[in-house]
Amino acid sequence: MAEVRYEGATRLYEGTEEPAVNALDLDIVDGELLVLVGPSGSGKSTALRMLAGLESVDQGGVYIGGRDVTLVPPKDRDIAMVFQNYALYPQMTVAANMGFALKQQGVPKEERVRQVREAARILDLEPYLDRKPKNLSGGQRQRVAMGRAIVRRPQVFLMDEPLSNLDAKLRVQTRTELADLQARLGVTTVYVTHDQVEAMTMGHRVAVLKDGFLQQVAAPKELYSRPANLFVAGFIGSPAMNLITVPVEDGVASLNDLSLPLPDDVRAEVNRRGLKEIVFGVRPEHLELGQEGTSGEVAVVEELGSEAYVHVRIAHGAETELIVVRVGGETSVTRGDFVNFGVTGANHYFDPDGDRLDAKPVPGAG
Amino acid sequence: MSSDTGLVVGQKRWTSWALGLLAWAVGLLFFFPIFWMVLNGFKEEIDANSSPQLFFDPTLDRYRDVTSETPGLLGFKEAFANSFWIVLISTILVMILAVPAAYSLAIRPVRKWRDVLFFFISTKFLPIVGAILPLWIIARDLDLLNTRTVLIILYTAMNLPLAVWMLRSFFMEVPRELIEAAQIDGAGLRGQLTSVVMPIVAPGLAATALLCVIFAWNEFFLAVQLNPVDGSTMPIWVTSNVSTRGNFLAKLSAASTLATLPVVLAGWVAQKRMIRGLAMGAIK
Amino acid sequence: MTDTQPDTAPDAGPDTRDEERAEERRHLERREKWIRRLPLLPALLFTIVITQVPFVFSLFYSLTDWKIIPPTPRTFIGFDNFTDLVDNQFFRDAAWVSVVMTASAVLLSLILGTGIALLLDRKFFGQGFVRTLLITPFLVMPVVAGLVWKNQVFSSQYGVINWLLNLVGIDNVEFVTRYPLWSIVIVLVWEWTPFMMLIILAGLQGQPTDVLEAARVDGATNRAIFFQITLPHLKPYLELGTLLGSIYLIQVFDQIEVITGGGPDSSNIPFFVFQRSIGGGWDFGAASAMSIVVVIASIVLANLGLRVLSGLLEGEDPA
Repeated sequence: MAEVRYEGATRLYEGTEEPAVNALDLDIVDGELLVLVGPSGSGKSTALRMLAGLESVDQGGVYIGGRDVTLVPPKDRDIAMVFQNYALYPQMTVAANMGFALKQQGVPKEERVRQVREAARILDLEPYLDRKPKNLSGGQRQRVAMGRAIVRRPQVFLMDEPLSNLDAKLRVQTRTELADLQARLGVTTVYVTHDQVEAMTMGHRVAVLKDGFLQQVAAPKELYSRPANLFVAGFIGSPAMNLITVPVEDGVASLNDLSLPLPDDVRAEVNRRGLKEIVFGVRPEHLELGQEGTSGEVAVVEELGSEAYVHVRIAHGAETELIVVRVGGETSVTRGDFVNFGVTGANHYFDPDGDRLDAKPVPGAG
Repeated sequence: MSSDTGLVVGQKRWTSWALGLLAWAVGLLFFFPIFWMVLNGFKEEIDANSSPQLFFDPTLDRYRDVTSETPGLLGFKEAFANSFWIVLISTILVMILAVPAAYSLAIRPVRKWRDVLFFFISTKFLPIVGAILPLWIIARDLDLLNTRTVLIILYTAMNLPLAVWMLRSFFMEVPRELIEAAQIDGAGLRGQLTSVVMPIVAPGLAATALLCVIFAWNEFFLAVQLNPVDGSTMPIWVTSNVSTRGNFLAKLSAASTLATLPVVLAGWVAQKRMIRGLAMGAIK
Repeated sequence: MTDTQPDTAPDAGPDTRDEERAEERRHLERREKWIRRLPLLPALLFTIVITQVPFVFSLFYSLTDWKIIPPTPRTFIGFDNFTDLVDNQFFRDAAWVSVVMTASAVLLSLILGTGIALLLDRKFFGQGFVRTLLITPFLVMPVVAGLVWKNQVFSSQYGVINWLLNLVGIDNVEFVTRYPLWSIVIVLVWEWTPFMMLIILAGLQGQPTDVLEAARVDGATNRAIFFQITLPHLKPYLELGTLLGSIYLIQVFDQIEVITGGGPDSSNIPFFVFQRSIGGGWDFGAASAMSIVVVIASIVLANLGLRVLSGLLEGEDPA
């Protein structure tokens, strides 16, 4: 078990201009489950593979347990990895798959069998030890891949979208099991996913990447309540935060009939930057239908049972804009209604260039 | 993956029948000359050398005739032994050279893998006739004419590009993550090869080797130019059964059957994989 | 990429650490390069020595006047061998035979092979068995193929075709003597149709079913499906078949040797080269010049072919 550190780690693929991972600085503490999340092409998988030794680190370095492993081949890094499509050895049985790493280390046979049994017990794989991967279901294969990782008690687990090949229901179930298993074993884990819900539910901390740059790393709660920039604000949360460009005059932003007086620190920052417009962000749960506020026409109502999301079309300058408002499960609002809505709190203000305006930007803070 | 969906809705049942029947007819038509050859090999010369007949008293005498030795003439045993050793050794050499090369082109590719692969293939584009005269001269000067060695070397060169090409496509089928998983599991190059790569490509290796065997076994041009006197192979032996005097048809049929059989059997066994290695590697 | 190092580097001397790393990285990269190259070298060197060097010799011989029997000293005569070829009626015939033989055999076997592949790409009783029957001609030793067809199929006395013709009252035809070129072409087509069929079959079976089903749902007729979906999908396979077929068929020798033994109507350039040199002519200078002509024709073919291949290889990159 060990802590992991990226230090200005950069990967530039041959024949490309922009690094896939750009001067990544990241500290992962011992026993932590850190999730790397981002859209495709954000560099999250590359970052993971750099830690695994499957991609070279062109500048900077990576450390595992204080040891510089930047130039160490994968086999000597003492890590285990779970691949997206599991990468089980097709011609080996489940037991052989799980015991392969131990065999490479020269662990004697009886010991190997014992440890494989132990891991199989944890993962409910005992009845399948003699089967070949092709005779297993998707969920079972996923567990074998997990078993292969835990059986060898590595310093770090690396997981590259390990749940993306499962169907939706199994994915949610396995998600919790996996988080629980990681907590019990206490092994430092770096987990890559493109699914922000997965990231938020599993990660002790979540690192958001975009275009090879680290955008923000923080606990899920903070990521949700204080996104460091426009990208994170729009990426984290489902449905996404409402983000609307609004004019500012004398420290007051206005969205149609809504006047939004800016907090002092934001106002100071707006003045300092000389902004005429800012991006106003508010999550659907911080909007409320009522008599007050600005009005619009209901375009869609998404009923989820316990709650509903009302998409309201409002005029915005020459165009229209859809605003999502969360309401209780038993709403009577239907498509075509005209409604008013107001803001109940927790607003976010961003420079149109991306920065959050009410705080010092803290990208990469660990 | 296959596009044969059986009877398509709306397609008439008799059309399907007729097309199946047509396929059988074409298959039998193409096979007929071989069937006829095998049949004639069991005839008396007198029966073979008359208007075609399907019914006769089968005999093994022609096989006895063609395998009996005549001093001074190329015998079956000698030709078979020559072909056997030349084919075996050249195929082993091809595999020894081609497996590492294909590995270097597929799994851990050199930067210019495309150019290298092109070079290998392009050697197949150059007709052997363009090289035969220098080869003959060099072989003569090195005292290699009419030896097994010269054909072993040339068959190795002849089959090597094809083997590299096919093996590369089989190696390409090894999922990259499997090798990465093995690396992370602590396997060195040897471990990766023996535990992961080889079990997956083994059937492809076998198919490639078989194809090399087939081409080497059937080769006639180089054999007849370089080894007409000694070290002669099966194709030369077959032609030696053609005589200008007397009837030879039944004997020739028996000899042809003997010469053809090993390779046809090998081809039947490996047919699916062979074509996949040839075609699929190029087109994905 | 910028040269600036992040100054958040570790506690103990970041600069020296980065320099050490850069040094080691270069070292590892060099090693890696050789690890990648090494397995390739034996095959590469062997191929270069055995297949490339003789061509250089051929080129040299072709510029000389050189007969082995009776032994004459080798004299350099420039391009005379080549200019002589132009006037040589026999060579012109051989060149023409080469063109006709290669083109017609490739084309006919490709068409037949495609047709048969379409027949086989549907479920019917004994499908696997029929495919096995069909590939057999390709596996048969070319010498045997030639002999069997000549003596047992074409033969005017004992041949099956003439026997059938007699049944319908047509007199015996000496096929091999009367139509030597086409007799050989038929044998070649018989041998190469199975090969083309297998390649096309691989293409047909790699065709995604959902596209076909979508087309059917869209109301396309079988004919429309074949010409607008299947045929374009088969294009690379047809190209591959043409390419491989041409490479092999331009060098046909065995079947000519056993069916006609040469002659102006059936010997192609490779066979003519043999006749003029090892086969009895022993005129290595002139024969080399002819072989160079075949090489040049092949290079032209190969250029077209490699362009096709590079298209095929475009999509995949193992790196």
